[in-house]
This record gives sequence, structure tokens and C-alpha cells, in this order.
Amino acid sequence: MIDKFTDWLRDSAKVLHENAAYLTELDSAIGDADHGANMDRGFAAVVAVLDETSFDSVDELLKKAGMTLVSKVGGASGPLYGTFFLRFGTALAGLSLTPESIGTGLRAGVDGVLARGKAELGDKTMYDAWAPALDAYDAAVAGSGDLGAALKAAAEASAKGRDATVPLEARKGRASYLGERSVGHQDPGATSTTLLLESAARTLA
Amino acid sequence: MIGIVVVSHSHALATAAVGLAAEMVAADNRPVIAVAAGLDEKTFGTDAVAVSEAIAAADSADGVLVLVDLGSAVLSAELALEFVDPEVAARARLTSAPLVEGLVAAVVTASTGASLDAVAAEAERGLLGKQEHLGSGPTPEPAAAVESGQGIEVVVSNKHGLHARPAARLVGLVNGYDARVTVTNLDTGHGPVDAGSLSMVATLNAIRGNLLRFAADGPEADEALAAINDLATENFGDDEPARFPARLGAPVEGDNGGSGLDVAFGPAVLAGDPVDISRYVAGDNESARLAAAVETVADELRRLRDASPDLGGIFEAQLALLTDPQQLKEIREVLDRGASAVNVWQLVFDRLAERFEALHDAYQRERAQDVRAVRDRVLRHLTGTTEDSPIQVETEQPAILVVPELDAATAATLDGRRFAGVAIRAAGTTGHGVIVGRSRGIPLITGIGDVAVPAGAVIAFDARKGSFEIEPDVARVRATIAEREAEQERAAAEAQLPATTIDGRTVAVLVNIGTVQDALSVRGADGSGLVRTELLFGERRTAPTVAEQVEAFRAIAAALPGKPITIRTWDVGGDKPLPFLPLDEEANPFLGERGLRAFRRRPELLRDQLEAVRQIAAEMPVHVMFPMVTTADEVAWALDELGPRPDGLKVGIMIEVPAAALRVATLTADLDFVSIGTNDLTQYVTATDRTNPAVAALADGLDPAVLQLVDHVVRNAGVPVGVCGDLASNPQAAVILAALGVHELSAIAPQVPLVKARLREADLRLIDTAAVLAARDGDQVRALL
Repeated sequence: MIDKFTDWLRDSAKVLHENAAYLTELDSAIGDADHGANMDRGFAAVVAVLDETSFDSVDELLKKAGMTLVSKVGGASGPLYGTFFLRFGTALAGLSLTPESIGTGLRAGVDGVLARGKAELGDKTMYDAWAPALDAYDAAVAGSGDLGAALKAAAEASAKGRDATVPLEARKGRASYLGERSVGHQDPGATSTTLLLESAARTLA
Repeated sequence: MIGIVVVSHSHALATAAVGLAAEMVAADNRPVIAVAAGLDEKTFGTDAVAVSEAIAAADSADGVLVLVDLGSAVLSAELALEFVDPEVAARARLTSAPLVEGLVAAVVTASTGASLDAVAAEAERGLLGKQEHLGSGPTPEPAAAVESGQGIEVVVSNKHGLHARPAARLVGLVNGYDARVTVTNLDTGHGPVDAGSLSMVATLNAIRGNLLRFAADGPEADEALAAINDLATENFGDDEPARFPARLGAPVEGDNGGSGLDVAFGPAVLAGDPVDISRYVAGDNESARLAAAVETVADELRRLRDASPDLGGIFEAQLALLTDPQQLKEIREVLDRGASAVNVWQLVFDRLAERFEALHDAYQRERAQDVRAVRDRVLRHLTGTTEDSPIQVETEQPAILVVPELDAATAATLDGRRFAGVAIRAAGTTGHGVIVGRSRGIPLITGIGDVAVPAGAVIAFDARKGSFEIEPDVARVRATIAEREAEQERAAAEAQLPATTIDGRTVAVLVNIGTVQDALSVRGADGSGLVRTELLFGERRTAPTVAEQVEAFRAIAAALPGKPITIRTWDVGGDKPLPFLPLDEEANPFLGERGLRAFRRRPELLRDQLEAVRQIAAEMPVHVMFPMVTTADEVAWALDELGPRPDGLKVGIMIEVPAAALRVATLTADLDFVSIGTNDLTQYVTATDRTNPAVAALADGLDPAVLQLVDHVVRNAGVPVGVCGDLASNPQAAVILAALGVHELSAIAPQVPLVKARLREADLRLIDTAAVLAARDGDQVRALL
């Protein structure tokens, strides 16, 4: 399972790198035009860690990824995604990896994001992509019990949540300074969250 | 005392804010301020791990206050609290205070030993002063007036009112007493407010002349009021600002300075080699040893500072480097873990020097020298090698000191009876040591490089010729010295005679002025061909007012009665920064926003200066010239900024850019004169950075390519042509310039009599200018003379 999580982080890094310009473009409309570059820098640093270090457990791997993002991303997504991976890893410590335990870990990570960012649903943030994704994941696990199906459902729900940020008015972060002018733009954080979940659906199952 | 952490997306922003706040309190009671800002010095961002390290570094038993800018700074700071020791986290406080105003208030309040609660409250009130002034915020609540207590009334006599620094003095003083003190501005009705709160005092808007009422109660109310009264009579600690920058040109009375010549010889005394720390044995009391050494050195520096008021600022700065509390705290922590004092001290100061050397600005880079001077002083005390300092060694005849670089303390204290001169390996002429040495008339040469000099060997140098010799022909050197002495005496005696050549041409010889002292000390100048305003006010941290500029120009003009002075507008950029005109960092500052160019985007400072020029021009003969002009558009813009010219105000430009030299005819239609800056012209024509020793030799002012441009300018300008670069200070070159038809030469003060004397002996008809212009290089030009 460690290999799959490693693949996930590497694949995410690749996808974020390919989408860096796109994310930055989204961020330039309503933020400070650095989200793509920041995520790319942070995940490239994660890959550099993976190249140098081998990990004995998934929770150690995720915690290290979280600390790396905290130090290297720079923008608000650093502490947010960093907290996500730190809490995800911490929640998995000592558990065997099942669709249920991974679901618990994801929820712990997202609770961390929520505590850190103090966002609510509809604030036009990454939480608007995370929240429906978690619900879809849990529903799929309760139904089929299959990790692959659950991750796929999560990614699809996340994409819907992402698209639904377009008409919203931002109430958090740099975009909130724009007020009404943020309406009509897709949230970059919800976009990168969806990229991470789509990558998970490809690699983790 | 609590510690303070600054978290920002930008390293530059955070360090600048810290610099601004640190200025408010003396170095020895400043709180520890740690910075966690930017992913590195250039990349915006915040790093929770770095924040947690900064919190740990600034932590103290009294707690630590964390100021943040915005966005991820807040999130990273919160996350950082999860990374530090729970005990540290419990006494760390994140504040929503505005970064800059909050930091200033926090630093001042913390320096009085106030609690974390009090400092945090002050920081959060940081915006009050501004809001009150602009009428845009909530009205501050008056403090409960001290009813039953004592009261005094004082008048604010500070020129700029109770601004931040004097207010900080007041707050610091009040918080030192066990008393509750309130203050009311009786003229504006503001108050009463808590006199122990910087933010609240700032809301008083106390300007010069306002009457303030202080009231106090509590056990030490009387003492507090008496102390406030004393402070008020001392302008709240505001020294009347020095009217002019340090007068480096003034030799100290009874000073054993140098010969004032540019040539010297004597046995070599080598100094400034790295202090030998190899035999140092660390003990179990390293912290105490270091503290003793630091205290001794601090005493030495204080003595040096007090002994030489003109140079005091240099030693004050070294003192601040020495006693930086944060640095000492960090060093002590390492020592307490068992490290050796010499190793740690050397490492820390080497790193600090490296940081200065990595700076963009040449002037700042040379401050690394001060760091090394402080480093070595302490290391010598720690290793007990003070007594063996070569500078103290007695020699039978006056010696030449050979040093890697000349520090200010050595230059200020070098005994001219025992040392005939100083040879400096490093290039660069703006180091404090070089400036001080030159002002004391000590012969010195810079940039001799790493030539091997055996200790005790007789060496000689001639700075005028740029020659440095080991085992020279002493008889010849003595002859040169005798010649220069005679030249100096004769020139001084005849300084007032006009510089009329044998063939009857009279050349005006003027003086370059960087300090008022230059104008007072010069003999025989026909006026000033260059007033370097950026030097005149270069040590100021804030821009001088129009009135202050008029006063300075008047002082210079008064020293040269009836003679014209040529005021050059701010010449900033390149290697000349002005603290009150920050410029963007540039890859090639010498090709960037220098001189006039720097004001196209921000003309305000230039406008003030031109206003001062117009005012002084109404009183006395004044010329004004603009530096670093390239195009006719720039000339038109500058003239437009100047506006209508008062009668008698002559206007010119400097010719430093080859393009301006070549098309001078198209630039001068509305001008009265041009002045060639040969230093920059040479540097641009030869594409040579003269501060780079590897290529400096190429920047020869007598290169025929430079002289051809001078010739071209003289023939095509259509207005009188002056020269104010170094070339005009060189008597030999002055003759060539005169022969080429230059009308005015502006030289440094000590050279004015020498240039005049040399011109009086010259017959310009005998100078073969055609051969000079056709020469293959500068050496061939010199050979022709």
C-alpha cells in the first residue's frame, strides 16, 4: 500500500506541474496569481523527499509530505494542504488500511483544513470540493465497499463541487477582497483539490 | 523582556519593518526580534516550520508576541504553535495588530519591560495615532484622568513635535516608574491619555509649541513627574539634528596626523592578519570570558567615540554590532552548550560579514569591514594578543602599515609620527577607514592586491602615480617627497594667485564640495564647480526640507564669498544610495536609474531641491546642473521642472554618458554650461567597473578615447565647458584639459592650490594636443608631458 500512496503523491506532483499555469491563471483572476507555482513547488519538494527517503508506513509518509508542503508551498495552501496530510497521516497511524480507515483519515485531514481555514460550505474555497467528495466516498464505501469505486465517486463529486464554486462570491482568503467581482470565476483551491482526488482515483485503488 | 516574532510573506518587508522599529529604542534594551518571512529572500510566502523556529528563538520566560501580515501568514503562525514546545506555545501570543504600526508599538513597549498583555494591547492599538490624525477611526477613549495626583505642564520644544522617537523616550521613562501617568494636550484638547502607551501618546498630535499637562498618582508619582520635566527640557531626548553631516575634513586639534602628501616610504609593518586562535583553550566559563571581552571592547569603542566627535557615528555603529542583544543571546546559548568562545564569535561575525558582502549596494558592502574590525577586537581580547598588535610596535623610523583593509579605529588612532603611510590591499575608496585616514592627512594607497610584502622590508608608494615598490631606490623616493613638499608649500603660499598659464590663458580652478568643511578648508578656489548634494545630506535618514537645503547652500556660499557655487541635483544610484530615496534593486545599477533618471518617476525630491536652488539664487551667485543626462528630452524635462529661472541662475548638465558627449551640440540650446564628469565618462567609454581591481587599470582617465570625447565636447558644446571629475584634481591632467580648451576645472580641496600652481608653470602652446589625441594609450599620453 505504501507504493500506491507513493504513486499517488508522485502522480499528483506530475498533474499539478502540468496544471500549474492553469491554476495560476485561475488564481490571477481572484487571488495573487501564485497557486499553480506554489503547489508545483510544494509537490516537487515532496517528490524530492520520496526520492531520498524510504518510509516504513503510510502514516509516516503522509506526515512527511504534510511537513514538506508546510515549508515549501508558501501561500495559504501550504498550511492547509500541509495540515490535511499531517492529520490524514496521524489518523492512519496504527490502523490497517481499509476503505473505511482511509475514509476516516480523509475526514480527519479535511477537519484539519476546516479548523485551520475556518471556511464554511459556499465560501468559495477548497472545502467546497472536499465536502461533497467525503460524502460521496462514504456513501460508496457503505454501498459497494470498494476503494476504487469510492475514490472515483469522490473525485466526481469533487469536480461537481469545484464547478459549483464558479457563481459563488468569495468569503475567505485574498479572493474575499474582491467581493462580488469574484463571482464567475472558478476557485483555484477547489480545482487543485479535485486534481488530487482524481489522481487518487487513478493510483490508490 | 518578551520576545517578538514578525511573520510576513516578504523577507524584505519584514526586515525593513524590523529596522524601522529597532530604530526606536537603544540597542542595549531592545527586545529579541526574530523574523520568519518569505520562502527565501526573494520568494514571497510563509513557512510554518520557519515560524516555529522563530518563535523558539525569540521565546523568553516572559512570553513572545507574534505579529503577522495576512493570509497564509496567519495560518502558518497558527500551525507553528502546534510545532513548538507546548510550554512555549502557551506563552506565545498571535496578535491581529497591524504589522508595521503594531511592531513599532510592541518594540517600544517591550523595551520598557512591559508584560506580554501590555505589549499585545499596545500593538493592537497601533493604528490609533493614524486614525486620530486622519479622523477616520474610532475616537480613542480618554484614560481615566488622574484626579488626586500631582501635575506639571510642559511645552513641546522639539522641532517636529512629539514624534515617534521622543514619544518612545517618554513612554519608556514613564513605564520605569511605579506610577500611573496621564497626559493631555491642552492646546488641542486631546486626552488625557495613558502616558505609558506609545499609541495613545501618538493620538495627542503634540506639535512644537503645544502645552502638555502630565498628571500622576501612585507611589513614585513625584519622581515620575520630575523625570518627565527633565526629559521635556532636553527636548524629549531629541538631539538638535546635526545641521550638516559628519565633518570628516576637520583634523582634530593636536592630532598626530600624516604629512598630507600622497607619497611615503618606510619599513613595512604587516597587520590585520587573521587573529591566531589556534592556541586558545576553551574553559568551562566561556560565556563569562566572552562577556568580559565584549565589555572591554565596548569600553574601547566608547572611548574612541567620545574622543572623536566627528567620527563618533562610525564607532557608535561598531558598538551596535558588538552589543546586538539578539546576537549575544544566540551566542550565549551556543556557549552554554559547551562551545568555544573564539570559534563561535568568529563564525558568527564571519557570517555577518558575508551577509554584508552579499549586499547589492557597494557602500553597504564595505560595512563588512566594520564587522571584521569588531570581530578581531574581541578575538584579540579573548586570545590575549592585544599587546602584540603590530600597530603598537615601536619602529626606528616611520613605517608603512600594510593591511588587508583599513578599519576606522586604526585610521583614527594611527600615530602619524610612527607611521609614514598606509598601504591597503583591498580596492575601494569609500571605506570608513580610508575616509578617516585621508581626512587626517595620512598618505595612503588602496588596491595593492596580494603582492607579497616581507615584514620589515622598506616599501614605498606614490598614490598619484599609482606605484607601489618593495626595496625602492630610497634616494629617489626622498627626492619625490621633497619635491611634493616644496610643491605643497609653494602652492599653498600662492594659492590665491590666478591660474594664468605662461601663454596667458586663465583657467578657473574651483573646488568639489561634499561637506561644508570642504568649503571652509579650501585655499584659492575660484568657487565650487560641484556641490555634491547627495553627500551633503547623505547621512540623513529623511529628506532635508527646502529650508534646510537653503541653509546648507548658504553656508557653503558664505565660505566662498562672492564666488559662484554649482549645485548638482541629487546624484543617486550606481554606488551612491540615499537613505531617503530607496531605489529598486537593479541588475546593472550603473546603467540604471541613476542621477536625473531616478526622478522621472518620482520628481518630488527633485522639485524640493530646485525650489531651494531658486531661493538661494535670489541671494547669491549660484549655478545648477543635472547629472546623468543622455537625451535632449531629459534636458527639456529638467528645465521644465526648474521652471522660470531667477536672474543670474546659470543652468547646465553633466556630461558623463558617451551619447551625451557625442551629441552635446543638440543638448545645449537652452543651457549656460556643461561639466564633464570624467570618472563616469571613463567608466562608460572603457566599459570598466573601476571598483573591480581585476579591470580597474583599464579605467584610465587619460585614455585618449576619453580625451577625444573631451575635445569633441569643447569643440561642439557652444557653451563653456568644465571638468569636475578626478582628472581635474590631477595637476598633470589639468594641463592637458586646459590645452584642450576646457574653461573650468573643479578639483578636490587639497588639490586646488596644486592644480593652480601647475597651470601657472605651464605653456599650453607647447602641449601637442594632436599627438595626445592620437596616442595609443594613457601611458603614451603621460609620456608626452
